[in-house]
Amino acid sequence: MGHRIGIDVGGTFTDFVLVRPDGQLRLLKTPTTLGDQSRGVMTGLATLARAEGGDVEAMLRETDLVVHGTTTADNTLIEMNGAVTGLLTTAGHRDEIEIRRGFKEDIWDPAYPPPVPIAPRRRRFGIPERLDARGQVVHPLDENALRDAIRRLRLQRVESVAVCFLFSFVNPVHELRAAELLRAEAPEIRVSLSHLVMPTAPEFERTSTTLVDAYVGPRVSRYLANLEDALREAGFGHELLVMQSNGGIMTADFLARRAVAALGSGPTGGAMGAASVARQVEVPDFIAMDMGGTSYEVCVVRNGRPTVKSFWNWQHRYLIGLPMVEMHAIGAGGGSIASVEAGALRVGPESAKAEPGPICYGRGGTLPTVTDANLVLGYLNPEALCGGDFKLTGAGVREALDSHIGEPLEADTVAAAHGIFRIVNANMANAIRRVSSEAGLDPRGFALVVYGGNGPVHAGRQAEDLGIRRWIVPRSAPALSALGLLVADYVVDLQRSYITPADRAEPDRVNELLEQLEAQARAELAVAGLEGEAVTVERSFCLCYPGQNFDIPIPAVLSAADGTRMASEDVAATREAFHDHHDALRGYALRSEAPLLRAVRLHATGHTPKPPAEPLPPATTEVDEALVGRRPAFMGEGFVDTPVYDGERLERGHQVAGPAILEQRFTTIVLYPGHEATIDAYGNVNVAISARRT
Amino acid sequence: MSATEGSAPEPDPRFDPVTAEVIRGAMETVAFEMATFVSLTATTPILNQSNERNATILGGNGRLAALSVGIPQFMLSSTLPVRFALEFFAEEGLHEGDVLLANDPYHGGGHLPDYNVFAPVVVDGRVALIASIQCHHADTGGGMPGGYNAEAIDIWAEGVRIPALKLFDRGVERRDVLYMLQVNNRTPSFLGDLRAQIGAAQLGAKRLHEIIARHGLEAVDAAVEHAIDHAARRFRSEVAAWPDGTYEADSYVDHDPVGNQDIHVHVKVTVAGDQLTVDFTGSDERQDLKAYSSFGNTRGYVVAQLATMMDPTIPKNEGFFDSIDLIVPKGCVLNPHEGQTVAAGTHHPGVEVGEAIAKALGQVLPERSCPQIYKLGMPTVIFGQHPETGLPFFDHSVDCLAAYCNAVKGQDGWGSMPASFGNLIRATAEINESITPVRHECCDYLPDSGGPGRWRGCPGSRVVKRVLADSTVSTYMVGMKYPMAGVAGGGDGSPNQLTIRFETDGAERVPVMANGAPHGAGEAFEYLYGGGGGWGDPLERDPAQVRDDVLDEYVSLDSAERDYGVVFTGHADDYSLAVDAAATERLRARRRGA
Repeated sequence: MGHRIGIDVGGTFTDFVLVRPDGQLRLLKTPTTLGDQSRGVMTGLATLARAEGGDVEAMLRETDLVVHGTTTADNTLIEMNGAVTGLLTTAGHRDEIEIRRGFKEDIWDPAYPPPVPIAPRRRRFGIPERLDARGQVVHPLDENALRDAIRRLRLQRVESVAVCFLFSFVNPVHELRAAELLRAEAPEIRVSLSHLVMPTAPEFERTSTTLVDAYVGPRVSRYLANLEDALREAGFGHELLVMQSNGGIMTADFLARRAVAALGSGPTGGAMGAASVARQVEVPDFIAMDMGGTSYEVCVVRNGRPTVKSFWNWQHRYLIGLPMVEMHAIGAGGGSIASVEAGALRVGPESAKAEPGPICYGRGGTLPTVTDANLVLGYLNPEALCGGDFKLTGAGVREALDSHIGEPLEADTVAAAHGIFRIVNANMANAIRRVSSEAGLDPRGFALVVYGGNGPVHAGRQAEDLGIRRWIVPRSAPALSALGLLVADYVVDLQRSYITPADRAEPDRVNELLEQLEAQARAELAVAGLEGEAVTVERSFCLCYPGQNFDIPIPAVLSAADGTRMASEDVAATREAFHDHHDALRGYALRSEAPLLRAVRLHATGHTPKPPAEPLPPATTEVDEALVGRRPAFMGEGFVDTPVYDGERLERGHQVAGPAILEQRFTTIVLYPGHEATIDAYGNVNVAISARRT
Repeated sequence: MSATEGSAPEPDPRFDPVTAEVIRGAMETVAFEMATFVSLTATTPILNQSNERNATILGGNGRLAALSVGIPQFMLSSTLPVRFALEFFAEEGLHEGDVLLANDPYHGGGHLPDYNVFAPVVVDGRVALIASIQCHHADTGGGMPGGYNAEAIDIWAEGVRIPALKLFDRGVERRDVLYMLQVNNRTPSFLGDLRAQIGAAQLGAKRLHEIIARHGLEAVDAAVEHAIDHAARRFRSEVAAWPDGTYEADSYVDHDPVGNQDIHVHVKVTVAGDQLTVDFTGSDERQDLKAYSSFGNTRGYVVAQLATMMDPTIPKNEGFFDSIDLIVPKGCVLNPHEGQTVAAGTHHPGVEVGEAIAKALGQVLPERSCPQIYKLGMPTVIFGQHPETGLPFFDHSVDCLAAYCNAVKGQDGWGSMPASFGNLIRATAEINESITPVRHECCDYLPDSGGPGRWRGCPGSRVVKRVLADSTVSTYMVGMKYPMAGVAGGGDGSPNQLTIRFETDGAERVPVMANGAPHGAGEAFEYLYGGGGGWGDPLERDPAQVRDDVLDEYVSLDSAERDYGVVFTGHADDYSLAVDAAATERLRARRRGA
């Protein structure tokens, strides 16, 4: 096997991880290029090749795998600069996309603006046509009305169209005919059909998802095509792979057709990377936290799998109904700005971002941030952030802390800095509590896996706040998202609605759907060269009790054909399985109620070979040899003369007890009193909290 | 370990604002955890899916300290029942492990279906904090299923009243009490939902104990006081910026469910420095209505309306509530004598309280004036027998539709409903049609139904639902005579209009109530939901926006000329429509002169 390269484009930096055939890693960070991200990617690859001592052609020729996490789809929705998009709906349902099932983000603010419309009303057409819930045609497709709508879309220079007719997931006949007419009369228009993008009820979720697909599709496919061309020209001989929002990878070609699945591509890599590290250290249940410059993201991982959400999932003000790894973000990062408002100390959500950044970056920032507080508290090394590439300046930091925080609170500089530190920790701990309460679990049973440049300063205190006894900083923490790309499998998630009281589900219909879904998934994976044994398939049924808005997936009850097809006796067993599942998940079952079957779901995994990481050799040095100095750092009650270790020189088996600071190239780890770190066989920093001491 | 340079400041024995902020955040998180617990464990969809629950943390004296909101209008009335319980049990005291229940509109509650369950946190023999969770239950006993008995003769006919009742006494469940509650409720899942609430209150109490153990009772007390003071300071500084004066307004409900006309709400809002007084003296005093809003309900709507007229980030706690000097004369329609019915009045004239305040303050704060109300009367309920299963079906028509959403200064009305209803998730055609024999034929915006204005009201929806089995349709209509009012010169939204047996020989407009109106299989009703009012003079709307509205078919060409004074060249059909600036100016000048 040759090289494998993971490339994760973030808001500020593009991270690269190169895994050599011997399993050794090289990390690289380069600035993200605005506009066309592929330029930054290619520049970074050249830098990477130079660092490896060769040119980019030679490196790429020896590379088997390039996996990419891109924010192109997210940026398109953040900047709202996607395609000129139209929408065709069933007549009478033209405005559901604006009605949004009633949802408004801020219930206290009547002036809160609506989302920028992807398809303003003049580009939305209700077409006379109607199917019933069984897919029977109630009203035939009015082709004249459709032609007129197409004509008017062309007059408006529409580039991309979403088609979402009611019950198309049961019978796509009208959507298919609409696609034919669109191809014939407006071949220049890209078409997203709802029964292909998300063949699931209900219509608002499907319309929103399909509309986003139509909107981001042209830009995502153009971007991926450009990048593939550039890679091919530079000598790469394989297909480019891209991370999807569901935590699996697929070919760039697949993503070009399902552009909406590229949303959240970046942070998802981090969760997958955290999961792979946790497997190394045999921690199945943990909370992954990623703290960067502007945001803080949390993901709950159980049994080694990040939580996947597929309902009521709002992304950039549009609802996405496809399964997505559930990342909770709050506006709290190193650049978050602190202020005093009517006597109360607040941190974030406003951020100094990369420019001007915290005051201590010396680039013109004047408002105190979390990073500035961390500098005053002695956690950060003013001389050698990023391995010395980047120096912090104390100039103006104390003055700003005094005037913005200290004076209004009648506190001195250190108390002001410590106040910021405590508030940001409390905000993050509260975020984790909220996420865990929604998942119905107690964080105390979990470990924290911490990554992103700013996380390991705060993690120890947050763990204490939450009653968590163990936290882990992965060896590749600063580029974990990029690494995560390389450990992900191919995933195709497919779902088809079939809405019926579960007791009256017809096994033939279920089996027909399962066969269709499986054939489709296998065909997609075969394109990527994955067939036979390399593919595993999980089948589930989505059920709910009558009146519930959201359904719950349970493993499909299938006793025929080696557990792959439904037999008649499985109908009653499905009902019972749902009651049991609901009981386990929600703490009750309504056994007198007849549950509804809402959908059949299939999750196909194409397994990629994952060469195991090589354990590090045992230490050849004493831990004290990594001790590079001491500096005063604030440890709860006052400054403590704290030993500082060069994290890069710590070796397998070394143990360091807090208070201590471990400085790595791209991150700083603060061990508080009572925290003891052990470097494990893979270079991860494992921290146990023995006793709570402030 | 040795301290070197610098040192932490001496801990202030009285008060540390950072600790107060940490505690405030922790209490809000506890409220969130309690609300989430109910969502995960309650069995009724309105609790676990529609967010009809609120969680609150109160100080030991019953003052609200932190809140997690589902539906603000239903749920801002959590403090008064707790205070009644504190008073009632003053002698014997509340104890650790107690869990109490209250729902009575005449002891601080809003209306009977809102069950408030709360647990004291007792430290050193004193109630330090109270964890409280309010949920809307599907049934309350009484004369009719469902908790909304529009024909009840008095409060006792509406349901079972619970002023303050111990469900748990010092950690021991009172089986007799729970059993009594169960047998007085029609919903089989009632006890399960009540237990979800009990569990949430117990969880809240446990987590609050952890916070007290961590920070100390003194710091927690100080943090509660600080949070309340902070909200009060911010509330008062907003009010101080408002012009001093007395502002009066009237608001009306078309009629109560039995046809008593023009239910009158009168408000006098006085701004004096940083003091705000809201006085409903002069409101309807008729004693024979079927529509009274309990004091707790009235107070809730006052707070909900004022909250949307201020900085949305001001914490909603006692500091906010207490800063309002609220006067509601006993015996008027907004503070009825004990015994009057309140089920229908919860909504009307309950919501008109907010409308009256928005109108009154709109005279001086037009940019903040957006009534957070609905003119829905009652949901339109379709009832019949499912032809395939033979079982009865209900459709409560909590559908995707738009209505009653006013514009505000700088923002056209948009979406479905006013912002305050943004947590209520609507049903969809595809899911409903899959289980209920009702076809959702239309929910499109109705052109010209949004009130004209410099900023336009959101259009209402034209909803057509066709029954596929013999069914009955029941509802109570308001908002026909008194639609959503425009603000600052904006036009009114369109009125509601319901036609049953639409497009048949038996077609009929509903004047007050449809009480089980029969619809044969294949027959439909058409409900034109009222639009939101406009804001500001429509003649000042940017003509380019009017052009956009015409192209988007929110506004017709006729209305563009008639209401907005905009003259076009070209056509909408081929997108050549362009504003004739000179002709528009002339027309507008003529209108202004006229």
